[in-house]
Amino acid sequence: KRRKVTESSEEIERRLESLICRVGEKSSSSLESNLEGLATVLEADLPNFKSQILQILVLCSYQLPEKCTIYTTLVGLLNVRNYNCGGEFVEMMLRELKRLISTNQFKFAQFMIQFLSDLVNCNVVTPSSLIALFNSFISITRQDSLQSRKDWYVYAVLASLPWVGSALSEKHSIEVSTIFENIRMYIIHRDKSHREFLRVWSTDDPHPQEEYLDCLFAQVCKLRDDGWIEDVIIRPYRAFPVLANALQHDLPDFVVPPHIAEGSVYPIPQVIFRMFDYTDCPEGPLIPGNHAIERWLIEEQLRSIVRTFNCDKKECASRLLGYPGRDKVPLNHMIVECLMGDIFRLPESPYPLVMYAAVFIELCKLQPSMMPQVLAIASDMIYERLDTMNITCVDRFVNWFSQHLSNFQFRWTWEDWNDCLSCDPASPKAKFVKEVLEKCMRLAYYKRISDSVPPEFAPLLYNEPKISFKYDFKSGLNLSQEERAAYTASQRVITAIKTKCKDDELIIILEEIHQEEASTDGTTFCLPRLEVFLQSLLFLAQKSFSHSFSALYKFHKVLKWAGDGEEGKIAILSITKDVWKNHPQMMLVLVDKMIRMQIVDCASVAKWLFSPKMADDFTRLYVWEIMHSTIRKMNKHVQKLEVELTEMRGKSQISEKKSEDEEDDIMRTYNIFAPNQTDLQRMQDQLDAANGEQKKLFLIIFQRFIMILSDHLVRCESNKTAFNSPWYRNTIQRLQEIFLLHKDTVKKYMATMENLLFTMDLDTRILSVFKQFASVVN
Amino acid sequence: SRMQQEKLLKMSSTLYVGNLSYYTTEEQIYELFSKCGDLKRVVMGLDKFKKTPCGFCFVEYCERLCAENAVRYINGTRLDDRVVRTDWDAGFKEGRQFGRG
Repeated sequence: KRRKVTESSEEIERRLESLICRVGEKSSSSLESNLEGLATVLEADLPNFKSQILQILVLCSYQLPEKCTIYTTLVGLLNVRNYNCGGEFVEMMLRELKRLISTNQFKFAQFMIQFLSDLVNCNVVTPSSLIALFNSFISITRQDSLQSRKDWYVYAVLASLPWVGSALSEKHSIEVSTIFENIRMYIIHRDKSHREFLRVWSTDDPHPQEEYLDCLFAQVCKLRDDGWIEDVIIRPYRAFPVLANALQHDLPDFVVPPHIAEGSVYPIPQVIFRMFDYTDCPEGPLIPGNHAIERWLIEEQLRSIVRTFNCDKKECASRLLGYPGRDKVPLNHMIVECLMGDIFRLPESPYPLVMYAAVFIELCKLQPSMMPQVLAIASDMIYERLDTMNITCVDRFVNWFSQHLSNFQFRWTWEDWNDCLSCDPASPKAKFVKEVLEKCMRLAYYKRISDSVPPEFAPLLYNEPKISFKYDFKSGLNLSQEERAAYTASQRVITAIKTKCKDDELIIILEEIHQEEASTDGTTFCLPRLEVFLQSLLFLAQKSFSHSFSALYKFHKVLKWAGDGEEGKIAILSITKDVWKNHPQMMLVLVDKMIRMQIVDCASVAKWLFSPKMADDFTRLYVWEIMHSTIRKMNKHVQKLEVELTEMRGKSQISEKKSEDEEDDIMRTYNIFAPNQTDLQRMQDQLDAANGEQKKLFLIIFQRFIMILSDHLVRCESNKTAFNSPWYRNTIQRLQEIFLLHKDTVKKYMATMENLLFTMDLDTRILSVFKQFASVVN
Repeated sequence: SRMQQEKLLKMSSTLYVGNLSYYTTEEQIYELFSKCGDLKRVVMGLDKFKKTPCGFCFVEYCERLCAENAVRYINGTRLDDRVVRTDWDAGFKEGRQFGRG
């Protein structure tokens, strides 16, 4: 087909972009001929479209890392044909690298450094200048700086060596040895206390859970000792002898962007998740060992696929299964281990849990004969290792597993998990099964789940989620005088609400109920009154969430009056719990609504969750769902006010600047509405108040944790019992979880906490949680 | 107009959810869809005459991004053994919960 004569430059640009982005995708001709052809096309367009072409290539270098070596080869071919353009490209790359690092886009920056390294293989970049770049990175480790900053630069070098180690060692073996030695010195002296905090399993049996930098270093050392031989990276440049004659460029000097306090956010360390070894997949190819570079390279490529296709679950699943290398490794096992590792990644998964759940479902659809089986094996293994699994990960496992089951008719061989029936009901296995069944129930209904488990599992089913109404007395029962009064009052309230009474009328009825001793803090709160009202209201609205929400909206005013003050708020929560003690999901949505409607506040929720009345439920999943959702709401509230204040400041500045121009009538009229100093001050006051509330919330939570944990430790000491009970392990991990899941907010209060709460006289077992957290965020 | 409608859809945080079982409850919808983020409200579709659930609902999120994730990851998965279908909706208005009956 002839090229249209009138093709506009935008059309050409778009065509070039599409050509470049598509190279390396499935095609009828060979990759080599496609690359050769593309290089010829681009060479012809270079005179007119050089900057556009180079820009597209720069973007591809880090946005399509799975095709790194294809693009380096292309750049190599262009460099052979047009030496200047190779030089310009390298300069553009380093400018972009600086931008990526300065804007905290560290994963992209890592891909770019790998790309620059691979350019040595295509004779675009001189080995000596790459070594100089690596050395400038490693020199960061000798600076007085954050460990996370040093870690990243070392990681970037290690992550590039699989591509270029061989080429560098050939001509610069001494320099390469020095690099290894410097990295080794850095790695052995690093602080690794974060490892305890971030690992999925607390034991290294059966698989060591290694610190990420230690692991990659071991893998790269092994690769070096094996003579840099691996067979995962495809190297298309080997098919182009013409590249050998190319002229190379020195990388321009690179000044490592400085650390900016409050600005630079480096990736936090990780612990490598391992659940399979070669004994787990006896048929077919072996899974590469923990220190084989292939393990890391394949995982990186699988993660790249997820990164590129995370918005399209079907494409993501089919690309994962289409990964070229099925004959070399047990691909299904590696996919499952990789995705599970991401689900359990602490503090948070790279993508929402629902994404992984959706991809697993698609994988099962695409390979119905194999994938469900591997997933079942994996689930079984995780179940077997629950005793040592981090509680945050257990929650995620509960959520994923129940959602997965609900997509497959809740079919599971529960008999295989019979051992949980005979173990301590507080042990992780029994608790896990109970929570899974509860979550399944939420996604279906009680009978569906109780019918789908074997009868002997009945003790693990929580009660049917029905209302427990206090005044639901059957007639003829002997009631005490007090009970009879409350029952009568409740009946009156119910009738009043049913006959659509006004707030005032209801308040008059309620005022008749009072306590012997009047409230001391001058509030209108009185427990019997609140109880009669709230119990009756929730009873009437029991039909659905919507009914309950409407009831809260309608009687918002009465409820605020009856549950006035801090004690009143906690009582509201506690009464709601009495009514809905068998319906955790109802509790979750009602607490959420009550906070949004300002019937209760975040601090009262925290106090209620730690109250003795909640002690029996303290280790249940829903309690922590409520806790975290409460904290998140608080944090979002602060963030929203921060954004509003910034916007308001912006608007007021515009108006100040423009007001000099007296001619501008529109601006003058606008200025009438622009925020003034009073508005700004009001907004600032709101933000200060919210910040105060947030700080108070965290201090309450941590203080309560310290109280209950210290109590427990003291009690065990005096009773001479083992302190390390399931309750203790659960609670200390929940404390860790608060730190981890809200780390950016908690960070703000480190100094206050160190002075007020986590003081030196605290039991070291509690204090060490704080210290480990400090090492994660520093 | 159509342009306005399309614009509304691009900004919406509301989804129309279809192909539900008549027995699927608001509670189940809440559980499944809050996996993508905080819900503002759920409005169950009702039979115009019998006022009973009739296989669809509206789900409104607090944030647009959450609704996008629901379209990506919940659409096409199962609830009560039925494949849930989601569509963008310009926003719920009173009266729309009543199906054809």
